[in-house]
Amino acid sequence: MSNDKEILDGLADKEYEHGFVTDLEQEFIPKGINEDVIRIISAKKGEPEWMLDFRLEAFRKWQKMTLPTWAHLEIPEIDFQDIIYYAAPKKDSERPNEIDPELEKTFDKLGIPLHERAALAGVAVDAVFDSVSVTTTFRAALAEKGIIFCSFSEAVREYPELVRKYLASVVPVGDNFYAALNSAVFSDGSFCYIPKGVRCPMELSSYFRINAKGTGQFERTLIVADEGSYVSYMEGCTAPMRDENQLHAAVVEIVVEKDAEVKYSTVQNWYPGDAQGKGGIFNFVTKRGICKGAGSHLSWTQVETGSAITWKYPSTILKGDNSSSEFYSVAVTNNYQQADTGTKMIHIGKNTRSRIISKGISAGHSQNSYRGLVRMLAGAENARNYSQCDSLLIGDKCGAHTFPYIENANKTAVVEHEATTSRISEDQLFYCNQRGIGQEEAVGLIVNGYAREVLSKLPMEFAVEAQKLLSLSLEGSVG
Amino acid sequence: MDVHNTVTVPAGQSFNKIYIAGNEEALPGKIVVEKDAKAEIVILSMPGTEYECSLEVVLAGRGASADIAGAYVCGHDEKIRISVDMRHEVPDCTSRQLFKGIAGGHSSVDFYGKITVVKDAQHTEAYQENHNILISDYAKVNTKPQLEIYADDVKCSHGATIGRLNEEEQFYMRSRGISLEDARVLQMISFLSPVLGTISDPELHGQKTAELEEAVRSIVKAI
Repeated sequence: MSNDKEILDGLADKEYEHGFVTDLEQEFIPKGINEDVIRIISAKKGEPEWMLDFRLEAFRKWQKMTLPTWAHLEIPEIDFQDIIYYAAPKKDSERPNEIDPELEKTFDKLGIPLHERAALAGVAVDAVFDSVSVTTTFRAALAEKGIIFCSFSEAVREYPELVRKYLASVVPVGDNFYAALNSAVFSDGSFCYIPKGVRCPMELSSYFRINAKGTGQFERTLIVADEGSYVSYMEGCTAPMRDENQLHAAVVEIVVEKDAEVKYSTVQNWYPGDAQGKGGIFNFVTKRGICKGAGSHLSWTQVETGSAITWKYPSTILKGDNSSSEFYSVAVTNNYQQADTGTKMIHIGKNTRSRIISKGISAGHSQNSYRGLVRMLAGAENARNYSQCDSLLIGDKCGAHTFPYIENANKTAVVEHEATTSRISEDQLFYCNQRGIGQEEAVGLIVNGYAREVLSKLPMEFAVEAQKLLSLSLEGSVG
Repeated sequence: MDVHNTVTVPAGQSFNKIYIAGNEEALPGKIVVEKDAKAEIVILSMPGTEYECSLEVVLAGRGASADIAGAYVCGHDEKIRISVDMRHEVPDCTSRQLFKGIAGGHSSVDFYGKITVVKDAQHTEAYQENHNILISDYAKVNTKPQLEIYADDVKCSHGATIGRLNEEEQFYMRSRGISLEDARVLQMISFLSPVLGTISDPELHGQKTAELEEAVRSIVKAI
């Protein structure tokens, strides 16, 4: 099948679309991490004393922790003293309230409008560039309904009581190595609070962009949905093409109160490194939500196509009775990418339900693992879980792995897990070919059908982009 | 127990054995299956037996196949630890694993099953199932099925469930005059019977079925 080889080679040549660098004046702090650096970050953001104490406590904990090594990943040694922990575009001192035109151009190029436009009226955006939030759109419109949507730094200043109440309530400071690091040095991210009974009228979204060389991005997002509210939140990310690896260690916390519903969608498209596996982002992220009240619902949807290494397990703690959660994931790895991703569903309350659908696609020399935990605690009467993990292999040099952990301590709880690993069958391709569909198109068709169940869960604004991304990431790979 | 003892099944031959937990003859630590050879193993663990086993199966020659089945019935405070490492090291091999068990009393069950398909072990078919039924509030089951696949032309799957006895089935039987206890026994036997189905010798099959039925009856009263 020489045709396959050509197509696979073509795939390797595919350029990363968002790999440009924005040339603008930025301010940095000295590289490395110590208590002084944390004090500088805190001072730069004008934080109150309690926030600084929180950071310092996290830093002290982090120093005593060791790197997690249980994942099925080969992570090169990271020198945490060789990272710049804060980088921000310089503000024009004469026009401090205006957005730098260069920045605006950057986000325009990425398709993220920083001005409220009629065309994209359905989405409010918080745009984060390196360590700071550039702007948050539609704040006034949202404020009318009592919804708070702003950058995390602003939230610390303007809504300290809310931040203090919920910060680290889902992901404790010392939860894991990267979460502790994030708690010490986190820069910016989004804060969102939906008051009781309010249905958020538009999609909220954050867009993260790494630009500066030698930096890491440590964003922190906190979403609180009060009783009976609803919000759909989307997250996107890109970075320039570089030979060095950059670290992205985020923490996302979601609190879902009684009868509230949160839908969290991610399209992760960090720079994956080149065809030889050089460069790319290390995406080590802790995402966790708690279904705190009865009848609450949290839904995770993720499309993971980027990053050199992904280490990410969006999880849900189902505490409230009758609460439910879903996890839908498509993870694509190509070239030398590595992904170890999945979810955790911790059932505590009665009649809690969860559903996990994970679709892995590996091509090139990549390694793609699903790792997931389903735990039924003794009190989880009549709890129910269903998990399905499928892996698709494209080419004979990649790997696909499945590592589920299933624990049940309640006799009325039912857990089901199934997983399959296979490649695109000759029969399916033949079927398409004989109906006049070319090889490449047929693969696209089959992969899209394979991932459909997940893609259909994405908000409309994201679904189109995700489908494009999927076909781009895999263009031409034939099994 | 010597966990390092290895059984090699020579090319073209077959190896058939039933192991009973707690018996003198212990499961080998490793089974190597050569070209066109066949290994068929059944492991049974009855109530009141603590059981820990760790088995590595290497499919080392083309056309080799392995069928590993196991059933465990726990009604007291047994601890069952089963670990199977199935390694497909050459192309064209087939493996099937089926483990089913019932956990009652204060028992705890840990199942760990890994299927590894090395690079270039194409045309592999590897299947693994682990199903559990919890019948007590104090029993616990943890299961970790794992797939590590480095070849693409393969058919691999695993399935794991932890559940309970179906109440609708019980109602169906009770409405036909079968007592609740008998209904439960019937449910558990039918649940475990696929494991016994892998025993090809009819006499042995009958004997083990009777033993398992007795085991199930002994724990059903405690529900």
